[in-house]
Amino acid sequence: MTLVRSPRTLPPRLPVRHRPVGGPALSPMLQRLAAERATGVLLRERGTLYLCDGQVVHAESPETPGLDVLLTTGGGLDAEGWREAVAQAGERRRVGRYLVDSGRVAEGALELCHTGALFDAAFFVLGPSSAPARFRYGDAHWLGAVRPVPVAALERETVRRRALLHRIWPDPATDSAPLIRADRRAEPPVPARQEAVLGQVDGVRTAADISRALGRPAFHTLVDLRRLAAAGIVTTAPPAPRRHHPDRMPPAHPSPHPDPVSALLAPSPADPDVALLRRLRDALEAL
Amino acid sequence: MANTETALKEALSSIEGATGAALVDYTSGMALGTIGGSKSFDLTVAAAGNTDVVRAKLRTMEHLGLKGEIEDILITLSDQYHLIRLLTGRGGNGLFLYLVLDSKRANLAMARHQLKKIERDLEV
Repeated sequence: MTLVRSPRTLPPRLPVRHRPVGGPALSPMLQRLAAERATGVLLRERGTLYLCDGQVVHAESPETPGLDVLLTTGGGLDAEGWREAVAQAGERRRVGRYLVDSGRVAEGALELCHTGALFDAAFFVLGPSSAPARFRYGDAHWLGAVRPVPVAALERETVRRRALLHRIWPDPATDSAPLIRADRRAEPPVPARQEAVLGQVDGVRTAADISRALGRPAFHTLVDLRRLAAAGIVTTAPPAPRRHHPDRMPPAHPSPHPDPVSALLAPSPADPDVALLRRLRDALEAL
Repeated sequence: MANTETALKEALSSIEGATGAALVDYTSGMALGTIGGSKSFDLTVAAAGNTDVVRAKLRTMEHLGLKGEIEDILITLSDQYHLIRLLTGRGGNGLFLYLVLDSKRANLAMARHQLKKIERDLEV
């Protein structure tokens, strides 16, 4: 450096990219569409964004549970009610309005579930992608507008979410791989919401499967899983599929003629599941 | 039966001394709605930061084996009160209302009471 400066001045700040580590740029195409106030559907590798007047009105990704799943598992709507609303109002693209007007879903609940689902799906849609995006002008989603979100807000939140995940646990392996519990006997107590996630970890399910099973946003499941991974409770399953040896569960169908005594005395093929037994005991005592 | 915006507006207009309010998802730390705040007080930053408060408290209770539920959390600053109220409705699992109060004007007992009512009206 040939820069001359008095000893009291601080060195100039180095330029810093305000992006989390490894975070590539979000979609420049989306920014252009927002600027021209476009209406239509943006198809990316990991899902779609619906735009209306340059604002995002809906988002879908195969990796996240849709609004229907969130509403039917948490919002007190049954699958029948959802199907009927889609049948009645889908043609007119006013399913959201119909759900509220018919009293099936409170306006607040619909709005919160929809906004939650939108940001959740957009996180994946705007994730790294290897295929070019396409935009179809004019298409609208059958749900109808609930609460449009500006593109800038969506991008800001997506970047913040990436940083949040990275801060909790920098290894993204648990985001997409099948998961196993590391060592049940050594597990510290975990909060109820993480406990529910942990209960779904079975060596086969991935984060997306767990989200769908619990009816929770997929990003929330990623957060819980990264925390569980950081605590050493959850790890990715070894790559080789071991379908014939479900190693954590006792065999459902024992051999045809088990000798009851030797079966009791012999060491169990699978380690006794202490944590499970404890939980069972606690549950029985609570009766 | 209110939507997010009207619920937050009501919080700001009906609660004496309220200067800002937010409805926050405490897993992601995202504010699903904010009202009030200022240049010097960014509610979305406050929302994200306070999710850590809620999470830490929930985790501590888990470690202590406490079975009760958090109704609200009060943080007292020299000139402000911050009130966090966890939503318990069927769809509200994982959300909290965050209310900023000017401590000189606010009536804490009244604010808690009104926040409870707003939570009920939000019906999530």
